[in-house]
Amino acid sequence: MMENAWIIPLFPLLSFLFLIVFGKRLRAVSAYIGIFLTFASFIISLLVLIARFGSPTYKAEGIWLTIGDYQLTAGYEVNQLNALMLVIVSLVSFLVHMYSKGYMHGDGRISVFYAYLGLFTFAMLGLVLSPNLLQTYIFWELVGLGSFLLIGFYFYKEEAKAAAKKAFIMTRIGDVGLFIGMILLFWQVGSFEYDEIFAAVSAGMISEQMITLIALLIFIGAVGKSGQFPLHTWLPDAMEGPTPVSALIHAATMVAAGVYLVASMFPLFAASETAMMTIAIIGAFTAIFAASIGIVQKDIKRVLAYSTVSQLGFMMLALGSAGYVAGVFHLMTHAFFKALLFLAAGSVIHAVHTQDIEKMGGLWKKLRVTGPLFLIGTLAISGVPLLSGFFSKDEILVSTWVHGHTFLFWLAVVAAFFTAFYMFRLFFMVFTGEARGKTANVKESPGVMVIPMLILAVLAIGAGYVNTPWFGTFLGDWLTEGNQALGHGHVEGPAWIMVVATAVSLLGILLAWLMYGKKTIARDWFSAGVPTVYGILANKYYIDEFYKMTIVKGTTAFSRILHFIEVIVVEGIMKMVAGIISGLSKLGSRFQSGQVQTYGTVAFLGLAILVIFFAVTGGYLK
Amino acid sequence: MDLETLLSYHWSIMTPEFIILGFATLLSLLDLFMPRKINRRILGWLALTGILAATISVFTLLGSAPESILYDTFRLDSFAIAFKLLLLIGAALVMMLAVSYEPRERIDEYRGEFYYLFLAGLLGALIMSSSGDLITLFIGLELLSLSSYILAGIRKKHLPSNESAMKYVINGGISTAITLFGMSYVYGISGTTNLKEMAAFLPTITNNQHLYLLALAFFMILIGLSFKIAAAPFHMWAPDVYEGAPLPVTAFLSVVSKTAGFIIILRILLSIFFNVPDQTGTTSLMLSLQDYLAVIAGATMIIGNVIALRQKNIKRMFAYSSIAHAGYLLVAVTAMSPFLVETTWFYLGAYLFMTLGVFAIIQIVTASADSESINEFGGLYRRSPFLAVSMSILLLSLAGIPGTAGFIGKLNIFMGALATDPAHYILASLLIATTVISYIYYFGVMVQIFFRQAESTKKFPLSPVVGIVIIICVAATVILGIFPNIAFDFLHEQFSSFKDFIQ
Repeated sequence: MMENAWIIPLFPLLSFLFLIVFGKRLRAVSAYIGIFLTFASFIISLLVLIARFGSPTYKAEGIWLTIGDYQLTAGYEVNQLNALMLVIVSLVSFLVHMYSKGYMHGDGRISVFYAYLGLFTFAMLGLVLSPNLLQTYIFWELVGLGSFLLIGFYFYKEEAKAAAKKAFIMTRIGDVGLFIGMILLFWQVGSFEYDEIFAAVSAGMISEQMITLIALLIFIGAVGKSGQFPLHTWLPDAMEGPTPVSALIHAATMVAAGVYLVASMFPLFAASETAMMTIAIIGAFTAIFAASIGIVQKDIKRVLAYSTVSQLGFMMLALGSAGYVAGVFHLMTHAFFKALLFLAAGSVIHAVHTQDIEKMGGLWKKLRVTGPLFLIGTLAISGVPLLSGFFSKDEILVSTWVHGHTFLFWLAVVAAFFTAFYMFRLFFMVFTGEARGKTANVKESPGVMVIPMLILAVLAIGAGYVNTPWFGTFLGDWLTEGNQALGHGHVEGPAWIMVVATAVSLLGILLAWLMYGKKTIARDWFSAGVPTVYGILANKYYIDEFYKMTIVKGTTAFSRILHFIEVIVVEGIMKMVAGIISGLSKLGSRFQSGQVQTYGTVAFLGLAILVIFFAVTGGYLK
Repeated sequence: MDLETLLSYHWSIMTPEFIILGFATLLSLLDLFMPRKINRRILGWLALTGILAATISVFTLLGSAPESILYDTFRLDSFAIAFKLLLLIGAALVMMLAVSYEPRERIDEYRGEFYYLFLAGLLGALIMSSSGDLITLFIGLELLSLSSYILAGIRKKHLPSNESAMKYVINGGISTAITLFGMSYVYGISGTTNLKEMAAFLPTITNNQHLYLLALAFFMILIGLSFKIAAAPFHMWAPDVYEGAPLPVTAFLSVVSKTAGFIIILRILLSIFFNVPDQTGTTSLMLSLQDYLAVIAGATMIIGNVIALRQKNIKRMFAYSSIAHAGYLLVAVTAMSPFLVETTWFYLGAYLFMTLGVFAIIQIVTASADSESINEFGGLYRRSPFLAVSMSILLLSLAGIPGTAGFIGKLNIFMGALATDPAHYILASLLIATTVISYIYYFGVMVQIFFRQAESTKKFPLSPVVGIVIIICVAATVILGIFPNIAFDFLHEQFSSFKDFIQ
């Protein structure tokens, strides 16, 4: 089965091509084509995953281009990590395709929407299958393009346009790092192949400083894609895209690509202590930083967006603490419960037509299905015992502790507390209490939207049991099987960590309940008590403003100077070149008189000039 | 020559030529004796069958050892087989366009001729690819040229078509005269018309006067043949002829005829002038004259791309584009890298598909509008997304955007120009610069397709045959762009890098 893995990305590509060409005529039927084709992808991904359990890594590639002595290859690989990612991506994509059938119902450009979804899914699956860095980079950019198109899907909204542009540019900053890192790596190793890179690293062919430099540059790419501090600001803005898109791209798959990149190049990173430390610090900082912002946001999707940034920080922290299994495990569980939360949020938005949580409330009785599903997602992300998020978060905390990052460990614990708090704040404000907006027409979403949520809910509850300290660390053992560089399948940690994790999550929930559920603590004790802190949080640490004041202003000033040069110098040259070309063009067309004798004359003249020139320079008339 | 020697020849190596000759004869007889009221289109299908049969026979000849018959005048080596494949595939696609070609004033009376003249032209090109002698080379060339002259004027009641045929035949006459004059020098000095014997004799020349005459012959032959590939300074006929000729003929001229032109240029340059020593005796005449070739290549690229900018007629624009592509190919010829034949073969193959695809689309669009203005492509995306997307892919390939066959072809030429010693930096930069200029007019068409309003919303009558041509061309362009090694592996396996070229 694994030798057929190349087929998996082709289905969504087919969907994209087909819908781009015929979408206009098909209209609403487009949805069925998209759903069907991604389902096919999912089925094959599942078969590939099952096949991977029983057999070793499969890799197929051929020479794509020969340039001088270097041969660039192209192909695909199925190892444990890809196989798992294939299933996650294709499953979430399939569910989102299905959900969008209901969510985007009646949108005039639904075929375009499905075409873009197909393009994105193709790119993401291609990214996952890539056996070398160059191919990864190509798909990495393609994924960014898909994300750009989908964020800007409502292109008539100014905010959507701005957000799409911002996302593109911010991630591009990271990509420059990745690109330079990639070129350096090629220069050092002479190949883009992962295998050869790792072999070169373990053979000590690259100096330690060089590894650190390369690893950090590649990590910058991951920082951009995964919305890590300080390149995180695009991700909350990206919520301007349709909600199913947020679920697919900005929660479950693309933003996890940064984590995936670090995971798939783990042996390289592991070879540099500095790089690992940087990743851990950035991850932990992002986790607590974004979680603290999430506490005061008033837009349902923005809360979830900051929560995504924060959870991605957790994954980075795990990877930086040598917790390969913990990072990948959390990536998986997070994909399920965060997609669930987004889809449920979409269902709420679909019902009440607003994203402002101040205008919601009391929706539990109206949305009898969405409510409980949202609760499941909230419980899972908060790390309540027995749900998937509990196990993966515990694994991260254990790795951090065992690796000796005591301070980062406590940061993560606080971040976990924040997570439980803001998620339940969100839940209580949306679903309990008095209705603060018009709720007369609120109706539960249709079946096509509910079924994907149900499936994700089951996974959000159960996906954690593939790797638990109680029933066996099946996932971890499998992921690290046959690869020493990835560390152990399971890290034993002190038992009290689990108790602490449970305690902080319950504490967070309790505080949220007291403030927003039972209201024994005044809602504004915090904002009234320490208004400065509240202001800082509500304004997201003024990062956007900081960028505006420094980078944007600086760049603008710099660009003014460049503009000046541009107008005088560059444009002058440009105009001259363009003038010459169009003058030549005019002259040439005038020569083309239609007179056949002219044509013959020109040919003769040409011959004569060549011969005379030859006679003069050829040494015969000297 | 007695009957015994005649029968002892391996005539089987001429199978493709025999098939085409047979079908051409059969077609002309059928055309004579078939009742007038029977639609001659059936002859077109028959011609297509013949071309496909010949293609199959070329495949059966794959891998056979190089062989020559008729006192070395006809030889079948890997070079011949490889280029025959290109010619036949190109001709097959052109024939499919010709079958569905229907000009406004109808050509029912000459439709039969239309088809078998294509076959005659193709036969000439096939013979050229296998010639081991200047005489057969020239006869092939003339067979191709004479058929093309008539084809250009096949729309007898259409004034531009007549004009185009007239200009073509006059210019063709001049070019033939120049070429022959050059060949006569070569014959005069070497005393033979056989390329193999020349290759043996020429390196022994030491007389400087003779070498000088050979250099003059080089210029004359080169200029004469530049007519066939529409390169400077013999390019000026191309826009007028392309514009006036019926569309399938234009396609034939720009693909099959141009390929044949490069075949003869490579044959003559590699087997004659590459073997002539230059005056100092250190290198070959060909290499010492590289700079002149470079000038021709550069001028061709500049003229083609720059003048294309101002064209309003789509066929005229593609005439200049075809001049520009001849210029790119001449860069490869100038550089004379060790991979010259592979590079040329791949580029001509890529060019074949992208150009024929474009002409197929032009045939549909212009026939429906009865106008050849570029504006007819306005709003094509709304009227027919299939045509619009196909056209865009082909244009991207012509412009040499990565992911398409055109890019790989250009990359090979570019690398070839830089890989030789001395590297041709100026020529390579000129290749890039003129490619950038070409973006303007290629993308201009794409702007029309996607961003302009359509003047009518009428759908296009898309005949399945033309649809198949478009699909084949687009698919080949994309596949060769993403997996270029399919073609290169085929070349290496079947033709082992053309090592048997001159032996």
